Amino acid sequence: MSSKKGRLLSGSRSSEHIKAWLIMLPSLLLMTFFVWEPLFESVRMSLYKTRNVELVRFIWFDNYLSVMKKDDFLQALMNTFSYTFWSLLIGFLLPIVLAVLIGETRRCKGIFRTVVYLPNMLPGLAVVILWSSFFSGGATGVLNILLSAFHIPPQTYLTRAEWVIPIIIMIATWKGAGATALIYMASIAGISPELYEAATIDGAGVWQRILHIMLPAIRKLAGTLLILQIISVFQIMYEPMVLTKGGPDNASLSLMQLMWQYAFGGSMNYGKASAVAVTVTLILLVMTAIYSYFNRKESDWD
Amino acid sequence: MKRFIKMFSLVLALCLVMTAIPFGHAEDEVIDADLTCTITLGNWPPDTAADAEKALFEGYKATMARQYPNVTLVPDYYSYSLSNYVPMAKGHTAPSIFQPPFTDPQLLISQGLVGDVTAALEKFGVLDQFSPSYVEMLADENGRIYGLPRDGYVLGMHINIDLFREAGLMTEDGLPMYPRTLQEMAEYGQIIKEKTGKAGLVFPASETYGGWLFTNIAWNFGCVGENALEYQDEDGRWVCNFTSPQCIAAMEFMRDLRWKYDILNADATTTDWAGAHSLLGTGEAAMNFAADDSVDQPTANKGLPVDSFALIPFPAGPEGRYALAGGTCYMFSPDITEDQAIALMAYLKVLGKLPFLDDQIISGMRADYAAKRDRGAPVLPAISAWTDAEYNAAKQAIIDEYCNVDMRLYADFFGSISDGTIALKSEEPIFAQQLYRELTAVVQRMITREGADVEKALRKAEESFQEYLDDEYNDY
Repeated sequence: MSSKKGRLLSGSRSSEHIKAWLIMLPSLLLMTFFVWEPLFESVRMSLYKTRNVELVRFIWFDNYLSVMKKDDFLQALMNTFSYTFWSLLIGFLLPIVLAVLIGETRRCKGIFRTVVYLPNMLPGLAVVILWSSFFSGGATGVLNILLSAFHIPPQTYLTRAEWVIPIIIMIATWKGAGATALIYMASIAGISPELYEAATIDGAGVWQRILHIMLPAIRKLAGTLLILQIISVFQIMYEPMVLTKGGPDNASLSLMQLMWQYAFGGSMNYGKASAVAVTVTLILLVMTAIYSYFNRKESDWD
Repeated sequence: MKRFIKMFSLVLALCLVMTAIPFGHAEDEVIDADLTCTITLGNWPPDTAADAEKALFEGYKATMARQYPNVTLVPDYYSYSLSNYVPMAKGHTAPSIFQPPFTDPQLLISQGLVGDVTAALEKFGVLDQFSPSYVEMLADENGRIYGLPRDGYVLGMHINIDLFREAGLMTEDGLPMYPRTLQEMAEYGQIIKEKTGKAGLVFPASETYGGWLFTNIAWNFGCVGENALEYQDEDGRWVCNFTSPQCIAAMEFMRDLRWKYDILNADATTTDWAGAHSLLGTGEAAMNFAADDSVDQPTANKGLPVDSFALIPFPAGPEGRYALAGGTCYMFSPDITEDQAIALMAYLKVLGKLPFLDDQIISGMRADYAAKRDRGAPVLPAISAWTDAEYNAAKQAIIDEYCNVDMRLYADFFGSISDGTIALKSEEPIFAQQLYRELTAVVQRMITREGADVEKALRKAEESFQEYLDDEYNDY
């Protein structure tokens, strides 16, 4: 009797397994063709001398060595870390501040949410072109027109090596902060009102509520969004490409832009482009692993 | 009998002569009803193009339909760039015909990404009528032809006359007192900046443009021959030479344009080709290194009236007077068949891009020049890529009919080419885009850092480009 029941159970489990696999199949196929295969192909290509997309001969890690010993790679690597630094400085806290402020707002919350999210709805290239007019160096640049009201002569912005990365990050933050703020807002909205009520009864003010209820509640989400932000900024490309073309003197060249240059910038060297792409992937994998390690330790401790 | 033979010979000779003259065919005559294939035509005018342009191409299509009834034409809005072309060629989806600039044919040929049209050209009898310098750009080492010149250009300088007038730089004849040397260019630019507050010279130094223009300055400082920016040694290896005294002097001059004369536009490192034309056309800059094929950019496209615009020769340097000659060409998908190659040549003939004359082609030319004139673009003499004198003369006669400019504003430009006072040079022979990229980075350094070390920056660029040459050619 029990063996019959076991067989029945096993049969129904198998059919559930088949159903589960069938449900997953389209996603698996799409992942295989559009994610894993290109990824594998990119790794393979990085180990070959290439003639456009054809693999000519296996050369081990020559593409990596050739790419890494060049000044522009080191410059792009440093720039990419600089992008990340400025992004964390300018762009990490801002969405949290926005979410907290809107969370504490009593009236017109919907309007504020919409206004904050609005830049995210604009096409990325349009945003960059819009801001390029703002930072244009001539007398017709919007910022210079504003400054002229204070009798300040026209300045240049995008041709200054020390300013380009903070400006690009500022533009990216202007566009993207609203979307991240919405995620934080959703998390804040999920906090039990009873906690606030209890804190208010205990005499907690706004700052104490934020410090002791809101921020701890979004801490884990902030950790996840932090790593996502780093991954995203590490792949920054179209903003510097459109705004500064990587200049001046490679001061805003990112790793992904360098990869694009190898592939499509006139040399058609897909092997070296793949080497840069795989290097970026490896750096991100290491950073994600470090984050996951600390996050897991923290979870264990929790 | 003798008389009959004479008459017969005369008629026969007349028939032969009439057959040989390429006057073309009557409009409705079917030329080849047996030719059956489909060709996709890149660079077809998009729906947003001017009505006149769209009508022109529809007319070409209709003519093809009459002359080659079994050739199917498929319009394609494809516009070439190296990055989008490679995957299309490898995926067998490239259009049958597309239009790359003259910097790319040798790369595409060496990579096997374009189709051979030698046999089709022979069939049309035009193989020997290219300007030899164009053949060099469009053939492989075995002399097989992979492209046709669409048009040629020579780099000179666009002038905004209004700013010259405002700065008092006009002759008694009412013509701009334009710079004949690079030194004069710097000095006049300084006067313009002081008198008008506008940039004397717009210098697009983003991406590869800065290096591209700098090579022209470098040639005029003597970076030619044994001092060329790149040369092949006796072992056949390509050698980069950015640190010759001539190149260093040219780069120092480039630095002076920013820090000594201060004549450059404010955002030079982010300005591209289109941006440079925009600045000149809208009166934000007085001079722009540009060619005769882009005179419509500051005028028709940016609103500068044709009588406020002039085209002058590239200013001479201390070591010579050189200017870049280049252009755009037609190239073909690597998958084209022999029949498709013939159909494509027929299409180019209808477009008037082969050296043939007939009523259809002449009316096409007229429509083209009329459209230019109506748009407010200068209608100028063309620099032909063909050596066929009859074709060139007929084309010039039509241009004269539609000319809408004071030719004194262009006379020195075209005169310097025809009388040889300016030496024409094609782009650096190998991996030009990469060379431009390396030099652009140096130019950017010079115009953004006042105390930048010219020799050190050029040496670094030289090392980097030499490694590239070794990787991609010398040790390949």
